[in-house]
Amino acid sequence: MPSLSFRDLHKRFGATTAVRPTTLDVAAGEFLTLLGPSGSGKSTLLSLAAGHLAPTSGRILIGARDVTDLPPRLRNIGMVFQDYALFPNLNVFENVAYGLRARHCAAADIARRASAALAAVQLEGYGRRAILELSGGQRQRVALARALVIEPDVLLLDEPLGALDRQLRRQVQLEIRRLHRKFGHTTVFVTHDQEEALVLSDRIAIMRDGQIEQVGTAETLYETPINTFVAGFLGDSNLIEGTVRAIVRDTAELAVADLGAALFGAAGTGVAVGRRAALLVRPEFIRLDEGLAPGLPGTVEEVVYLGDVAAIKSRLSSGAEIWCRRPAGLGRPAGTQVSIGWAGGAGRVLAVAADTREAPR
Amino acid sequence: MHAVVSLVLAFLVLPTLVVVPASLNHASFIQIPPTMLSGRWYREFFADPEWLASLGSSLKVAALATSLSLVLGTTAALGLERLHGAWRTLLSGLFLAPLVVPAIVLAVALYYVARPLGLAGTTAGLALGHTLMCLPYVIVNVGVSLRTLDASLERAAAGLGASPWRIFRTVTLPCIAPGLAGGAVFAAITSFDELIISIFLAGVRTQTLPVKLWETIRVEFTPVVAVAASVIIAVSLFGFAVQRLRSRRIFRTRAEANAVA
Repeated sequence: MPSLSFRDLHKRFGATTAVRPTTLDVAAGEFLTLLGPSGSGKSTLLSLAAGHLAPTSGRILIGARDVTDLPPRLRNIGMVFQDYALFPNLNVFENVAYGLRARHCAAADIARRASAALAAVQLEGYGRRAILELSGGQRQRVALARALVIEPDVLLLDEPLGALDRQLRRQVQLEIRRLHRKFGHTTVFVTHDQEEALVLSDRIAIMRDGQIEQVGTAETLYETPINTFVAGFLGDSNLIEGTVRAIVRDTAELAVADLGAALFGAAGTGVAVGRRAALLVRPEFIRLDEGLAPGLPGTVEEVVYLGDVAAIKSRLSSGAEIWCRRPAGLGRPAGTQVSIGWAGGAGRVLAVAADTREAPR
Repeated sequence: MHAVVSLVLAFLVLPTLVVVPASLNHASFIQIPPTMLSGRWYREFFADPEWLASLGSSLKVAALATSLSLVLGTTAALGLERLHGAWRTLLSGLFLAPLVVPAIVLAVALYYVARPLGLAGTTAGLALGHTLMCLPYVIVNVGVSLRTLDASLERAAAGLGASPWRIFRTVTLPCIAPGLAGGAVFAAITSFDELIISIFLAGVRTQTLPVKLWETIRVEFTPVVAVAASVIIAVSLFGFAVQRLRSRRIFRTRAEANAVA
């Protein structure tokens, strides 16, 4: 399996920049996810790799082979589309065999390989079915078989689970994971769903406004996000904004209006004295105590029952929302005065990403 | 309300259908309502080599014009689909012009072009003239089905290693087949009952059925004319029925597809 590399890849549509110059290496056999909100450029990046769009500048390499100027049919890339893009006029077998026929393989070879591919996605015996007879999940698996059967150098998956309902999404997720373990294709997966990214990826690249904000393993991104956008996009986060008053060794001191206390946390990249920054504390580190325990005073505003746990939203005097989870029976009712605290070392002070209009919780 | 609708329908349809009972009358002159039913004039029509030759000529010209306009119209629709902005507006306007330009103007113009080229009076000349009239129907029908064609299908095929020609053959063409069929039916009907251009371009041996009908009725008012008119109605209705049935079938498969998805 060769690797896939983008070298200063840049795409403009007229005056708008879809992808800012981006350099990224997907290692041989690696499963990399491009995660970001819609319009962040992740699908454009994928279309550039597949050859459906030509870059404004920059190069694309598969292994040592420069494919930038090759048409899609010569790139040997397997692609799965969100809307399946199965050929409605062909049956399941012919859909899977399509790439082999285009390569002028021998009939016996086609029959053997297409059947094997259908077996790999657990659709033996479905060859003669019409596409219209299949369920959404089955269609997506046919699309996977069709992409895998040509033994592609690189596999590109463009939000392949977007059109499926939640239950099915789980199943196909595990299916994709199993197939990746089995065949080990160099894979780029595009999604806006953080759960999919966490389940499937070796590494995740978080994209925003046409550029990659941060690339790393799920742990790296979760524990040391580079800015508030990354912190907000992967995992739940509590962010308390303020101004950096001092940085002593690696610890930043954050002044927050109307809070009555300074906050401390490990300083992240780009944090400077006098600049806006935010303290990140993940919900699992939040402590809620009643009475006079040490911590910041706050009020419970909402308790959301989620089955095994309850999500509790409380508010600090500064106005910042603090979310945490508690076993369902141990939740505190709305209106309770609480003292909010966290373990030393749990906080991180992050640069505030400019214009975080799309950062979801 | 129902009465008004019935009156309008009667106004629209009856004058056309009046030729059918007229063609079935036994008398030797056109008479409505018929006094005695008989197939006499149908036998006369199908025994007359001149009428049969004109029917054959019409079918031949319609087949040629339909095939030609299918090929040209499909390529034109594919080309238009890839254009944007002013070019697209201009070119599609030009392609659809035969729908707007008075047929008599086209007929005169074609006559002037066809004569020096030796095409006047030939089947080829007629077929070419009819193609001009048929093209818009093919372009519109194919254009509509191209717009509903999912662009990711062609991308998927390209990604799987298919050449542009293979993509057209195995993906584009099957997906626009309903549009082609619709365009073909409209083109065939248009050519089959076209009169004005045919009057100018038809020769003695290439006289189409409408032209033969037109010339006969100017000389004598025989019930065979009513038979010829009924034949034209029958062929047109048949084409229309084929088209309706096809589109209903396609509609059903689409509905089933949506039910599954």
